[in-house]
Amino acid sequence: MDTFLAALFSGTSRGAIYALVALGLVIVWRGAGILNYAQMGQAMFSTYIASTMIINGNSYWLAFVVAIAVGAVMGVLLDILVMRPLSNKKKTELLSSESMRAAIPVIASLGILGVLQALAGIIWAAEERGFPAPYAQEGFTVAGNVMPFTSFDVFVITVVLTTLALTTLFFKKTGVGLAMRATALNSEVARLSGIRTNFTRSLSWAFSGAASSLAGLLITPTSNLSPNTLDLVLIIGFTAAVVGGLDSPAGAVIGGFLVGMVISFVSFYDTPEDVFLAILAVLILVLIIRPRGILGAKDARRV
Amino acid sequence: MRAVSKSKNHSIVRKSLRRTIFFVILILLAGSSFEPYNQAQLALVLILFIGVLSVTLLTGISGQLSLGQGALMAVGGYCMALLMTNQGYSLWVAIPLAIVGSALAGLLLGVSAARLTGPYLAGTTLVIALAIPTLANRFMSVLKGDEGLPVDVGYPPTWFVNLFGEPSYEEWQLYVALPFAAIALFFASNILLSRTGRMWRAIRDNETAASLSGVNFSRQKIFVFVVSATFAGLSGALYGLRGLVGPSVYPVSLSLLLLTAAVLGGIRSIFGAFIGTVIVVFLPDWIDAVLHSFELSEQVSNFLPALVSSLLLILTVVINPAGVAGTHLHKHKHK
Repeated sequence: MDTFLAALFSGTSRGAIYALVALGLVIVWRGAGILNYAQMGQAMFSTYIASTMIINGNSYWLAFVVAIAVGAVMGVLLDILVMRPLSNKKKTELLSSESMRAAIPVIASLGILGVLQALAGIIWAAEERGFPAPYAQEGFTVAGNVMPFTSFDVFVITVVLTTLALTTLFFKKTGVGLAMRATALNSEVARLSGIRTNFTRSLSWAFSGAASSLAGLLITPTSNLSPNTLDLVLIIGFTAAVVGGLDSPAGAVIGGFLVGMVISFVSFYDTPEDVFLAILAVLILVLIIRPRGILGAKDARRV
Repeated sequence: MRAVSKSKNHSIVRKSLRRTIFFVILILLAGSSFEPYNQAQLALVLILFIGVLSVTLLTGISGQLSLGQGALMAVGGYCMALLMTNQGYSLWVAIPLAIVGSALAGLLLGVSAARLTGPYLAGTTLVIALAIPTLANRFMSVLKGDEGLPVDVGYPPTWFVNLFGEPSYEEWQLYVALPFAAIALFFASNILLSRTGRMWRAIRDNETAASLSGVNFSRQKIFVFVVSATFAGLSGALYGLRGLVGPSVYPVSLSLLLLTAAVLGGIRSIFGAFIGTVIVVFLPDWIDAVLHSFELSEQVSNFLPALVSSLLLILTVVINPAGVAGTHLHKHKHK
């Protein structure tokens, strides 16, 4: 029973972070039609900046805000410097085939990931460092028993749920959110009706960058920080996004919690080493049974 | 009709054979003039060239982006290492059997993944690249976990020594890799020039049009995976022969290295695959040669090759997605 509770709690707080990562992926996928493999590289980079600020004596909260802002700015820069030139490119022979048009941005994002990781290695060295948590990481004590649930977990879940709620409100209630949804639905029609699609695209990148930086800040206190630590989080986030449906933000959240639970139960009841096999199994199962994901629209598998 | 296609096939084979012989002579000339360190580097080029060809065929020719070639390399490497250490086979027997093993893995992957497209396929194969090496710890008793299975190219047989004299270990590495690289090049060239290659390109450019012209694209897609897996498995087996077959030898970064090489050189051509492999293998040495006068700290020099190759990758896709060999490609297509 204790193991069960521990797995449940750890699955909830980890799942919240994976939901955030998946949300970041989904927003760029909807907004720009690109699956951004560099996303957690951006998060790693901004978390390193936060870590350096804290080591130099700044407060955690200042570093927290700066890291999220850096994540957003980095997202916009990537869009303007790399992805927009790619999509605006005159149709060269290589880009004239439909499969290569989908592959080229993936390759570009892998290049960005490589650059960010190499830069982080050069600037901050490759060895792991810890990252502080703003709240205690000891479990609550209930009736003499230490529960596997910490005040940091409460913080994580609160922050993530607030972010998700604000995102939903933003997309549903504001004009810019509506414009972004219109661009995601059909960018040609959106442009014809006067929406600046380049702007909404960049906004998607900024949003995704900020969300993933937040995820980086929330996950590194339990996993340590090195240029490569967040790669695994990206893989898990990708799985979560596919499970939920790549084009559905709500699906991403459900997928995140679901995958978080799977990972947590596998590592508590089996060994943590089997986590990747479990993720692979979940991914393949979903792709065979329901390729569009739990909440994905029917034609979500765009090429 | 039949006679025409037959003579065409002959000319294709002759063309591939010419390319292969030219390639072998070039490598032998370069190899005999290099000192041992660069001979080992050249052997590495040949080994990775086979792996890069697997990316060229899968991604460049048939348009399926896989980030999991390293996992197929691991399958080839482990098959070979198990046959060599447990059954005592020589590498000349173990490697062909390992290729069969990785072809089966490719079939499995093809059947499950060939219906995925674009980022779905890339992500799934990336998860596979991460998950497969962890099997080594799952089946500890056979695969020996993180420790891995030590294997090497051994020593040349006596007839070789009698004929050509005693080669250094590095030179022998090169001579073991060369016949396999030549065979891989020959087959890749044949495939690209033949009807099969045209079918794959048709699938890449437009699936619907290809299928309307009578290409059974789901079967061909699986076939591409199998062929690409044989290349990757061969490359992985030879890669393991450099000393160890273990999870640390086939990391995800190896898959990304193959993709980088293929894109830098030109993802649609065999020549590009070779150029790209030369670039990624020798890049650290070139950077070292250029910057050795600056006293760089270890921290910087360790990451500089990765930084440069990633920057080159981004610049290639943004400025010249056809790669180094791309100009040649354009001329070819505009006729």
